[in-house]
Amino acid sequence: MTLAVVVTAGAFVIDPAESVPDPVAYDDTTELGLSSETDAMMAGNATLPRIQVFYSQLQYVVGYNGIGSFVASLSDGRTERQFGYPLVAYVETFDHRDPDTTDGGLFTATGAGGWTPAEEAYYVVGSDARTPAGEAVIPFRNREVAESFSADHSGTVVDWESIRNRSFDVDSAATVRSLAPSRWQTANDRITEAERTADRPVSVVVGEDAPTIDAAVEAAPSNTTVVVPKGVYHETVTINKSVTIAGDDARISGDSNGSVVTVWAADVAIRGLRIDGVGNRTRDPEAARASRDEESEAWDANIQSGYGHGDAGIRAIAAPGLVVDDIMIETNASGLLLRDGSHAVVRDLRVDGSETWQNGFMGITGMESRVTVTDSRFEGGRDGIYLHRADGSVIRNSTFTDNRYGIHLMYTGDALVADNTARNELFAGITVMTRPSGNTIVGNDVRNSSAGIQSSGTRTYIAYNTLVGNELGFSTSARGSLYEHNVVVDNELGARATTIVPSSRVVANDFVGNDDHAAAGAGALRVWADGDRGNYWEGANVGPQPSSERAYRPTSPVDAALHGEIAAVAVRESPASVLLNHLRGTVPGARSGSIIDPVPASTPYHPERIDVVTSPDSEGAEPVHADWRAELSSLTDEQDTTHENTTNRNTARAVGDYK
Amino acid sequence: MSRLLADIGTVFRRELVTVRRTPGYVVLAVGLLIVLGGLAAVGGGGGTGFVPAVVDFLLPTEILVPLLAIVLGYRALLTDTTSGEFAVIRTYPVSTVDYVLGVLLARIAALVAIVGVPFALVGLYVWLTAAPDTGIFATHSGVDSPLLFVRFLAFVLLFGTAYLSLSAAVSALASSRRSAIALGLLALLVGVLGGDLAILRSLSGGASPSEISGLLALTPNGAFRGLVFEHVIGVAFAPDGGFVQTGRAVGSLVSWILAGIVVAVTTLTYAAGVDVVVERTQERLGEY
Repeated sequence: MTLAVVVTAGAFVIDPAESVPDPVAYDDTTELGLSSETDAMMAGNATLPRIQVFYSQLQYVVGYNGIGSFVASLSDGRTERQFGYPLVAYVETFDHRDPDTTDGGLFTATGAGGWTPAEEAYYVVGSDARTPAGEAVIPFRNREVAESFSADHSGTVVDWESIRNRSFDVDSAATVRSLAPSRWQTANDRITEAERTADRPVSVVVGEDAPTIDAAVEAAPSNTTVVVPKGVYHETVTINKSVTIAGDDARISGDSNGSVVTVWAADVAIRGLRIDGVGNRTRDPEAARASRDEESEAWDANIQSGYGHGDAGIRAIAAPGLVVDDIMIETNASGLLLRDGSHAVVRDLRVDGSETWQNGFMGITGMESRVTVTDSRFEGGRDGIYLHRADGSVIRNSTFTDNRYGIHLMYTGDALVADNTARNELFAGITVMTRPSGNTIVGNDVRNSSAGIQSSGTRTYIAYNTLVGNELGFSTSARGSLYEHNVVVDNELGARATTIVPSSRVVANDFVGNDDHAAAGAGALRVWADGDRGNYWEGANVGPQPSSERAYRPTSPVDAALHGEIAAVAVRESPASVLLNHLRGTVPGARSGSIIDPVPASTPYHPERIDVVTSPDSEGAEPVHADWRAELSSLTDEQDTTHENTTNRNTARAVGDYK
Repeated sequence: MSRLLADIGTVFRRELVTVRRTPGYVVLAVGLLIVLGGLAAVGGGGGTGFVPAVVDFLLPTEILVPLLAIVLGYRALLTDTTSGEFAVIRTYPVSTVDYVLGVLLARIAALVAIVGVPFALVGLYVWLTAAPDTGIFATHSGVDSPLLFVRFLAFVLLFGTAYLSLSAAVSALASSRRSAIALGLLALLVGVLGGDLAILRSLSGGASPSEISGLLALTPNGAFRGLVFEHVIGVAFAPDGGFVQTGRAVGSLVSWILAGIVVAVTTLTYAAGVDVVVERTQERLGEY
């Protein structure tokens, strides 16, 4: 009796909010904020000051790259709604860790000096040290050390209170969305530029002026065109000057040993050729092994030399400004292999790869080479397009069939993947691995594949895609991203929520006819809606109430059955189910493994696309591409002037690309 | 004073025997345990911690606990009155106040067992099983703590006692079992829905929203809900609270308990008085 009284009294006296957990190893946190795997971060020795935060409702410790990311998230109301308030935050401090800047002005240090409670640390702001995303805020444990760093790097020392009240310009997925139309335009400009490059006066005609193509290239002066008349040419070609090779229904057939055409020079254009007889070495195991011994190599030397040294129909090494137009390649290795900054514009390329992916390689292998691919076709082989460190690439209007992955990006950010069509992909239509930032994946149509779109990374815009009849429509692996206006029809599973800590918006998607509309892996409750706008879930609107009146939970067995089994309505209306649903959205951070849409839409957002893909006649199999450029442009017009700076900055960047 | 306690103790023990001899009450406890266990299992909140579990339990608790309290109390004082045992008890030196307090305390003890034990068991289950669903990443418990569940349990019992006391008043007012059931149900409906409907009415009638936290505390359900938000669930939302005025809410629940006792005592005293008058009249009439 007395014990009960004491315990009860104690329960009111002790404040559970006052028990403060100790910091954990950063690798054990779930990470939000800036990506630590952008090209700039991976290549350089830059250091991002990190912070780890314990939220009142969230069981997982959240790690942020960059102090600014955390502070910016505090002013976003969604953070508190989903995770509760921060109980405690620890920052990495850099006392006695040789804090300095790299030649490029990025902040660098030799590791961090342990974790300090955020309010006890001193912060250097406004210094000349920067992070890849902008201004760096550098925490120190001791004021003297902070002041000395500040003096060396012309900054000022402030406390946590002042940092909390600062506003940080953190780009969001919405910024990335606003860039999508301009990236399309950038691709148009690159193609126009490529046409201009390729248009050169004729100097040599193969067969008339020179016996072989190789000899013709040798004979031709720079900035002229070598014409290859109709016929079959059994040879391999090396191009080491800036010329245009213009075929007219000509075929180059290699000796099945090594690459057929190799480009060593800038601004080469190749068009109107069929290429076969490519060697079948897909990778160079020797190169991979050799480079592993040398410590001075770049961090990705293994991948570079392993993947970048196979055979190809056309191989370009350090050959920027390459133009590939109207080319057909049959290959059991790569179709087009680009290495060492061979930025290329590819139009109307067709690559026929091996029957089984294990025997072949990529349609396009791009290593540190920015590609612009349009109106091309990739069948069979390993991956349709594989890019490694190819920031700013554009892949559009192309078709991928029977590959392992249709499009496969590694460490590649700020790319546009738009209006492509993928069919029968063994692993996935579009996949983005590692943690790049700022990709836009829009208007693609993926069907009958293991997965439609699986993109990791941060600030990714995945929208207006049509995903039909796949095992999985899309996964939400990209953090801080925006998934909207996707039409997800007849998949085994429409969408899978993967990240442990929700940080993305999933809104205005249409889920129709999937065996299961959505599933969630481990982690806090995902709220899939943006304010008063949710997604359309077939089944959410059956029964007596309009769907917008009540939440829809695709992960609940009852709600998940609504679109397949009408009797589920009667179960949903049971007092037990109503009681349980009532307060579900409260304390989302402390709930796990489920998805809720508090405001499901009563009608589809894109009925026209759904109608087309579900129509039984042949029209239903035709690729569907939403008019996202029109919709996004109208959105950009409506935006207020606060976005102007961002847009200007990026226009400047796009212009800079040409120079 | 000790005399008073002894009298209450005697009634208390007698009433406890009555409660113990009612096997239906055990069934109630088992039923509640099944409902709570089901909520914890199906609701999913219990899988991760106490706060989400309390969120799952809140609404069912607001209906089930008053229901159980009224079932426990609606006949507490009625049976003795209708069977004539109260009249016999009155021949002993036991005051109506002693009698009512004794009965009520025994019923409160029953409430603690029937309601408290299932909640405590479910709380224990949550304590033993709640865990993040992956161990790959570092985890912590946030503000979640068993103490929050103890707070919740304390509010549940206080809330239940308020209804028990009210239902004891009902049992004193009722003249038959049927009217006791009807009155009990009425009290349940008015209690569970009426108070909040009145607040909604007054808000739509132009009452200032700033009065909500005060008004809410007036009804037992409002006071209970406010306290749970303020001291259990709200701890995870905002460090500063403000869902209800705590003192007022606790005061309100205690007032409802006292009000029930006062009504019961008054009714029994008055009714007994009436009986005496009736009997005397009959006697007098008989003489003539």
